[in-house]
Amino acid sequence: MDPRRLDDLLDAQCALLGLGLAAEHRPGVIRYLQLARDLAALVMDFPLEPADEPGTVFVPVTPRHRRVEDA
Amino acid sequence: MRATARVEAALARIAATDGRVNAFTAVLAERARARAQAVDARGLEGPLAGLPFAVKNLFDLAGLPTLAGSRIERTAAPARRDALLVRRLEAAGAVCVGALNMDEYAYGFTTENSHAGPTRNPHDLARIAGGSSGGSAAAVAAGQVPLTLGSDTNGSIRVPASLCGVFGLKPTFGRLPRTGTYPFVASLDHLGPLAQSVAALAAAYDAMQGPAADDPAQAPRAAEPTLAGIDHGSAGLRLGMLGGWFRQMALPAATAAVERCAQALGVTRVVDWPEVERARAAAFLITNAEGAALHLPDLRRRAHDFEPLSRARLRALVARPLPRRRAAARGVARAGAAPAPLVCAPGGGELRDGRRAAGPRHPVHRAADRHRMARHRWPAPVRPRQPGPADPARLLHRAAGGHRAAVGPRSGPAAAADRRPGHRRPLARGPVPARRPRARGPGARAGPRRASGMKGRR
Repeated sequence: MDPRRLDDLLDAQCALLGLGLAAEHRPGVIRYLQLARDLAALVMDFPLEPADEPGTVFVPVTPRHRRVEDA
Repeated sequence: MRATARVEAALARIAATDGRVNAFTAVLAERARARAQAVDARGLEGPLAGLPFAVKNLFDLAGLPTLAGSRIERTAAPARRDALLVRRLEAAGAVCVGALNMDEYAYGFTTENSHAGPTRNPHDLARIAGGSSGGSAAAVAAGQVPLTLGSDTNGSIRVPASLCGVFGLKPTFGRLPRTGTYPFVASLDHLGPLAQSVAALAAAYDAMQGPAADDPAQAPRAAEPTLAGIDHGSAGLRLGMLGGWFRQMALPAATAAVERCAQALGVTRVVDWPEVERARAAAFLITNAEGAALHLPDLRRRAHDFEPLSRARLRALVARPLPRRRAAARGVARAGAAPAPLVCAPGGGELRDGRRAAGPRHPVHRAADRHRMARHRWPAPVRPRQPGPADPARLLHRAAGGHRAAVGPRSGPAAAADRRPGHRRPLARGPVPARRPRARGPGARAGPRRASGMKGRR
C-alpha cells in the first residue's frame, strides 16, 4: 500500500470515529498503522474456508514432533 | 512462623526497599495486619497459611480504585470486593499486603509507567523489570513478598519473571478465572502467580483453581492439583523442545540455555508448531482490535490522560480495518509443552526515564515478541537461571558479570556487604521519580463504578 494511503485512512477513520489527533502524535500512530498493515497482510494471506471458525474454549492438542537427533 | 510475624517482616522489607524498586502502588498495612491476626487466631495450616502476597493493580481490592496502571481509573469508584483469585488465596490463609505497579492497561513490556514512576529491576536498578507485570516480578525479586499475582496477554508474566529471575506461571488459557480484574484482550488474557519457589507457585495455583460461572472463557475442567506432584521429577511427563521458528529466531545464548535445560530433563523430541509466525501476527491484530475497542470512549474524551506510547498504539488500532479481526482469530486458533527461549537481549534492558514518549519500541520488545506472542493460550512456566531474591551480598560477588547490587540494606552479612568499600548504590546515579502518595488502607467509599467501569470483569 502506498504510505500516503495510510495518512488518508487515518484521517478518514478519525473523522468517522470522532477522534482528535494532535500533529505531534501523528508519526507514532502512522508507525503502528504500518506495523499492523504488514502483519495483517501475513494473516490475510492464509487460506480459510467459510466454515473455519475460532474455538471459543481452548483445548490443547498433542503437537507434531520429531526426535532431537533428527532436528 | 506466625502470620503476623511474616506480614510484619514483609511490610518492613517493603518500607526499606520500595523507595528504590517502586514495585508497590498501594501498601495495605492495616488490612494485612488485621487479616494476619485472624489467620493466627483461626490456627490455619497449609502451605499458604500466613504467606504475604501482593497483586498487580488490575486486580480488584476492596476499597481501592482498580488502576490497571492508568491515570484515568484513579477517579473510578473503589472496588466493592476483592478479585476472585485474591479471595481464594486469602481463604487458604495467604495475606494480601498491597497492589503493584504495571504498564498502563497492561499494554507494554517495561513497566516504565509515567503515572506511578518506573519499576526498577532489583538486580540492577538501572534496568527495567519487564512488564506488564513488572511490579509483580520485582516485588518477588526484591524479597518484599514471596508470592504475587500478575496477568499475561502477550507475555506479561513471562517477560518480567524472566528479566527479574523469579519463577512464574502463565497457566493454560481458561484455567484460572478472571473475575474482578481489569481486562485488556478478552481472547488472550490469563492470570497467574509469580513466586520465589516452585512450591509457592504450585500451592498458589492449586488454591486458585476451580470453576467460576461469570468468566465465559473458563474451561469446563475439574481442578488438577499440582503441589503433591512437584517432587516426582519429570517421570511420566511428556516433554519436548520447540524447534522451527523458535530455534531460528533465538540468539545463541538462548539456544544454549534451552539445550542445557532439555538435556537436564532428558528431552528426546523436538516439537514443531505450524504457522507460528502467522499466529504471532494474528495475536498482534487481535490485541489491536479488542484493546482499541475497550478504550475507544476514553480515547475520544480524554486522550491526553493516556500514557504517550499507549495512546499512539491505541489510536492506530482504532483506525485499523475492521474485517481483519475475524480472520486473525481464526488464524491464531490454528497455530499450536516445551522448553523454548523467551527473552535474550544481551546489553539491553536499560530504563529510559523521560525518553519513552518520543523513542521507538524498547529493544526488549523486539527480543521478546519473537517468541512469546507465538505461544498464546498454551501453559508457560518460567524458571530463573539462578533462583533467589536480589541480595547485595550475593550480587557483589558477581560484580564481574556486570550485575550491580541494588536492594538493601539488610541485617547481618548483607548489611556488612552494603557498607563494604567500593559498593555502589545504584540509585545515587540518577534521580528517583516522584511517587504519588500510597493508599494506606481500604477506604470507606463504595458506590457504583462509573459508566466506563463496564470494562471491568465483575
